[in-house]
Amino acid sequence: MTDLAAVSRARGGDADAFRDLVQRHSRTIFRVACRMTGNEHDADDVVQETFLRAYRQIEKFEERANFGTWLHRIAVNCSLDLLRSRTRHEKNRITDKDDEDGEMTREFESTDPQPDRLLLSAELKQHVLEALDRLSGNERTAFMLRHFEGMPVEEIGRTLGIQVSAAKHTIFRAVRKLRESLEPLVRKTQCNI
Amino acid sequence: MQHLTEEQLVSHYYHDDDALDVEAHLGDCRDCTTQYETIGRVLALVTEAPVPDRGDDYGDQVWSRLRWKLGSQRRRRATWISGIAAAAALTIAFFAGHFWRAAHEVTTTAPMTASAPVVGAPTTVANVDHNDKILLLVVGDHLDNTERVLLEFANADPGKGLQIEQESRRAGELVAANRIYRQTASKQGNERIASVLADLEPVLIEISHAGTNLSKDELTELQKRIEAKGFLFKVRVISAQSSNGEKPPRNNNINADTL
Repeated sequence: MTDLAAVSRARGGDADAFRDLVQRHSRTIFRVACRMTGNEHDADDVVQETFLRAYRQIEKFEERANFGTWLHRIAVNCSLDLLRSRTRHEKNRITDKDDEDGEMTREFESTDPQPDRLLLSAELKQHVLEALDRLSGNERTAFMLRHFEGMPVEEIGRTLGIQVSAAKHTIFRAVRKLRESLEPLVRKTQCNI
Repeated sequence: MQHLTEEQLVSHYYHDDDALDVEAHLGDCRDCTTQYETIGRVLALVTEAPVPDRGDDYGDQVWSRLRWKLGSQRRRRATWISGIAAAAALTIAFFAGHFWRAAHEVTTTAPMTASAPVVGAPTTVANVDHNDKILLLVVGDHLDNTERVLLEFANADPGKGLQIEQESRRAGELVAANRIYRQTASKQGNERIASVLADLEPVLIEISHAGTNLSKDELTELQKRIEAKGFLFKVRVISAQSSNGEKPPRNNNINADTL
């Protein structure tokens, strides 16, 4: 059954059809959410919320669109909502950031190894995760939206509620921080080659 | 020669600039080309960074968690629509019964019908019974949804606080329905259901006004009230009666023990 057929049946109240869609797209949505939130536990929540929203709004889905793309978009929005609420929470409590960062890294680390994960050495992987963790919430979000989602700067500005120039600068700051963290590693890797 | 700034190089990487000018400069400037390649390599490293994956059965796991919530979504949508329809039906049934009884009493008070009260009485009771069944049926669904909202709070961990945006919205919808059912129950003289619904109303209102988050203290306070008033117990009993088609006694003495 194609996605479109499943959507059509799900609209008619066929729970099995919606289950097919969930089973088909969950892993992809999880990866999107994981990139956006930087946290597996949050990503699981985003996956849940994404499908809940999709179910509620399935009447709005236009059949000429691609269901996967539509779902992807919802997942990004859910991730942004979660990041915003996390920012609000964090503003309200001053925590030991080092502990939190450590925890976040460990959460990423706890995943079973997959073939694509072995492409990078453990050290390299650790450095990239740490570099991403060093970004502020806005920097990470703006960077992820531009780098992985290919979202135009204007839209990132609207999404984050900031001026286009500020969005551009936030992405630039994120890249600069990543460069500061990862450039020595890139050089080292080049030397080894 | 003026070199490109880091910002220009990043913009170029993401194609957010006038590509021709930058390309022309990069063609002539070795330093800038080196810088640009380094940025490219750093960002490629980020692109290649592994993202945790889930196993093949992840979709099943998601579905098993989701199924319950979708069920409540379906019921909520159905209840909201059927709630309005049922409330309308209840109102019609109430007034129809009222006018029928009034008309019947007028005709049966004619001098020739000495036995009128005997004929009229059981018919009126049957009419009221029928109204009770309609009320129970609709209220049962409403209570089922209310129970889910209350359970979210009763089972939440106060240590972590609670994000309640969704529940808050749901409670807001339940408040309107709750009011209609309470008034209908009251008009029908079913004080028992009316009383339970009257008890529930302030809690639902409180939840619906709580915004998006509850602090640890607010949550603890709400949990205490839910427990102290025995809301879940009351809701379950009436809900069970409605699903069994059982008619609740029409007494006016309401307390958790008798429920």
